[in-house]
Amino acid sequence: MKALLLRLEPMIWLLFGLGIMVGTLLLPGYLLTVALGAPLGLLPERALSFERAHLIFSNPLGRLLLLGIIALPLWKGAHHTRSLCVDLLGHASDALVGSLLYALALAGSIAALIAVLSIR
Amino acid sequence: MARSPDPQAMAPSRPGSTRTAPPALPADFWSRPRMRTYLLFDATGIVYLLVGLVALRVAWALAAGPDAWQALMRSFANPLYVLFHSIALVAAIFVGIRFFRLFPKAQPARIGPAKPPPRPLLHAMLYAAWGAVTLALLVVLGGVWP
Repeated sequence: MKALLLRLEPMIWLLFGLGIMVGTLLLPGYLLTVALGAPLGLLPERALSFERAHLIFSNPLGRLLLLGIIALPLWKGAHHTRSLCVDLLGHASDALVGSLLYALALAGSIAALIAVLSIR
Repeated sequence: MARSPDPQAMAPSRPGSTRTAPPALPADFWSRPRMRTYLLFDATGIVYLLVGLVALRVAWALAAGPDAWQALMRSFANPLYVLFHSIALVAAIFVGIRFFRLFPKAQPARIGPAKPPPRPLLHAMLYAAWGAVTLALLVVLGGVWP
């Protein structure tokens, strides 16, 4: 398992790097609007009505944006959580923990791809 | 077929004379500010993981229709979600500040014939990009334009 993780290291680092850079660029805007602003009524009512949200996230750029908001934080999160586990628990369980976390990120990314393509 | 990578490939053939600290977390790590901040930076990974998983609900709700979208917005107004998303916002800002300070220091001296811009300029460019992306999302998702 450890050998497989080492072999996948360049791909994992690419996704982690994208996650920490692009994910962090995107998250404040997403959190301030979709996650906090609209649900708390801080935005105009039409801003994220279903019709408008659907219009934004059903065009190719919107789908890509939503895919990035979902998938990139998953990879940043998986890699840093693995790193935290190594710091706190040592290397003994690293192969298992790392594999589970990356599998979660991969499953989440595939689910995100299916979900954004399902917006009709 | 390529050989499996050897985890010890980069280890020196003989132990060096320089003594190094054992790779173990000191018991008093909570009292060490630098270590605390470093661990906190890693711990934002848990928040990012959860943000990604929760954001999946946004895509599913949009695919499911208006009723699912309204239900999602109502559930996001729940105080627990509001608390979680507020923590996520703080985490994202913390990661941005720390990572954008680190990023210019981690650049190679040159990539082929190209040299990276001076560190302060690169740092400023990252903040400008962060501000521009956030503003663009606030304008579009906030209902200002189009």
